Amino acid sequence: MTSWHRTTTIASRELLDFVRDWRTILTMLLIPLLLFPLLFVVLPVVVGGQAEELAATEANVLVYGNLPTNLSEALMEANVNLLSPPVNSTGVDDQQQNAHVRDGVLDVILGWSLGDDEVYTVHLRYMSTASVSSDARMRVLTAVSEWEEEERVRRVEAGGLDANTTLDPVRYDTASVDLASQSERQGWLLSSFIPLMFAMWMVSSAIQPSIDMTAGERERGSLEALLCAPVHRWELLAGKWAAVSIIVLTGVFLQVAGLLFALTYLAGPGLLEMPHLSLLSTLLLTVAVVCFSVMVVATELAVAMRARSVKEAGAALAPLGLLVLVPAIIVQVVNLDGVEGVWFAVPVVNVMLAMRELLLDRVDGVHTVIWLSTTLLYTLLALGYAQRQFDREDLVLGAS
Amino acid sequence: MTGDVLARLRAVSKQFGDVLALDGIDIDIHHGVSTALVGGNGAGKTTLLRILAGVYRPSHGTALLGAGDIVDHRRRIGVMTESTGLHVRLTAWENIRFHARLFGVEDSVARRRAEAHAAPLGMLGALDRRTEGFSRGMRQKTALLRALVHEPDLLLLDEPTAGLDITSARAVRSLIEELVAVGRGVVWSTHDLGAASVCDRLVIVHNAKIVADGPLSTLLNEAGVGGIEALHQMHTAEATREFLEGAEVGA
Repeated sequence: MTSWHRTTTIASRELLDFVRDWRTILTMLLIPLLLFPLLFVVLPVVVGGQAEELAATEANVLVYGNLPTNLSEALMEANVNLLSPPVNSTGVDDQQQNAHVRDGVLDVILGWSLGDDEVYTVHLRYMSTASVSSDARMRVLTAVSEWEEEERVRRVEAGGLDANTTLDPVRYDTASVDLASQSERQGWLLSSFIPLMFAMWMVSSAIQPSIDMTAGERERGSLEALLCAPVHRWELLAGKWAAVSIIVLTGVFLQVAGLLFALTYLAGPGLLEMPHLSLLSTLLLTVAVVCFSVMVVATELAVAMRARSVKEAGAALAPLGLLVLVPAIIVQVVNLDGVEGVWFAVPVVNVMLAMRELLLDRVDGVHTVIWLSTTLLYTLLALGYAQRQFDREDLVLGAS
Repeated sequence: MTGDVLARLRAVSKQFGDVLALDGIDIDIHHGVSTALVGGNGAGKTTLLRILAGVYRPSHGTALLGAGDIVDHRRRIGVMTESTGLHVRLTAWENIRFHARLFGVEDSVARRRAEAHAAPLGMLGALDRRTEGFSRGMRQKTALLRALVHEPDLLLLDEPTAGLDITSARAVRSLIEELVAVGRGVVWSTHDLGAASVCDRLVIVHNAKIVADGPLSTLLNEAGVGGIEALHQMHTAEATREFLEGAEVGA
């Protein structure tokens, strides 16, 4: 019986235990796989339905002042019911009428006046927290904006000028501005969220299995039974690490696959395609993912093993997600073209930056050496820490 | 005591921080002898059992199995822990097979042995059932089958009959007697003095020390008491008095 066999035996047992629990399968595998496709199917249906419902709702707009006829017609075409104010009303700031907007009797109060300088002034009173009121405001603004455009042209032409050249004196040729290839643009798009998603999911999804396989196993008494077998502590760590890593990486892979599927097939054609990465970029990307998973899982196993109970392990590991979230978000906004090499040595940041670069198919020699060496160093430190925790007999069993 | 020495502990102490869990333990475990380890809660039984199992290393002293360190000979030891430590989402057989593989036992051999031991314990029909629905007794028996699957020379049992009905407890005792008869060494840790009285040898642990060690009949004669409970009470009370007197002298 070799170490390899003992390690794989432990890992297989953990995985068998894992797949037998339908709740864990649901949480760790099915939800990540189906989350984004469901979101992309359900969200447009819900949003579309809500928009249709709002568009079909007649908006009640109380108007102070005399609207131009064509503006009134445009508003009525937009399903707006134009109402005249009561005779004794004091204007757009009439408290009684404003209260009607708050109560939902009115959706918008529109004030319209023409100044001595021939400039119109528009006053709007609405409720940003009421959907119908907000939508009515948008309908009014859209109609006014279109009317303003017509009025602008009319006034320019009345002055004897050509409206087209006067109002639009600069032309932009947008046909061939972007020199980035389609693949590079896809890589850039992916690099803006894949590293963040990967880091967050990796850290958060490793927590539950890490606790279950350490503090949980100690509480159930199965860890003591296991330690009575001729197994080295490092084999125990390696077996549990392998099991957690397989579970977490499967979950991450399914989540990313679900997201890419949703973006490619459900969010509309041409929105996203897979970027073409070189073999070297792909290999380095794999190394980055594996190193990060080794580091995260080893750290979480160590922290969970150090805890005296499942509850304590949960409390110790819960903030870890937040600790990773901050650097992961920062990395997403870092300008890759001007980033200093030192950032590629910062824990977590280094792998996230490397993933961003590699998704853009950029392999910078100096950056690669820094992130690879520091990541390996952090990984070894995490493994060393985990090994120390697994070697402590009082922590493994509790002093009797 | 009959049989060759299987395991030997000499001047073994175990310290956890400020707590002295075992203090200068000398004990030999023999082939073909069943040894009952009795004592109250916190006496040191479990720590002694864990040192014999190679899970704990002594803080001082030596723990040998044959000529080598016990830790390096865990392959020859079978342990049934008090909590049983079964994986509840696995069947009884999968629990046994997992341990068998760690001990290097082929699946087919492990299955044959498990079935052979399961039959007299009434567990044959339950081998392929998940253990989550098992009663306390069934879990105990599964843990026992797991401890036996690699045919250990030394069998360490922590409360093996706790929670068992009379018939099952008798079946377990019978199985252990068979193992002893073929030369295995058995150490049986228990609170149940009645169960302990059927063993060849009685070891009373109190305040981290062994306060009595020998065949039950010999100990009873030496102490001049009529039963195991009186014997236990006498030794533990005496040890406590000595302990307190020692503490006063030290103060």
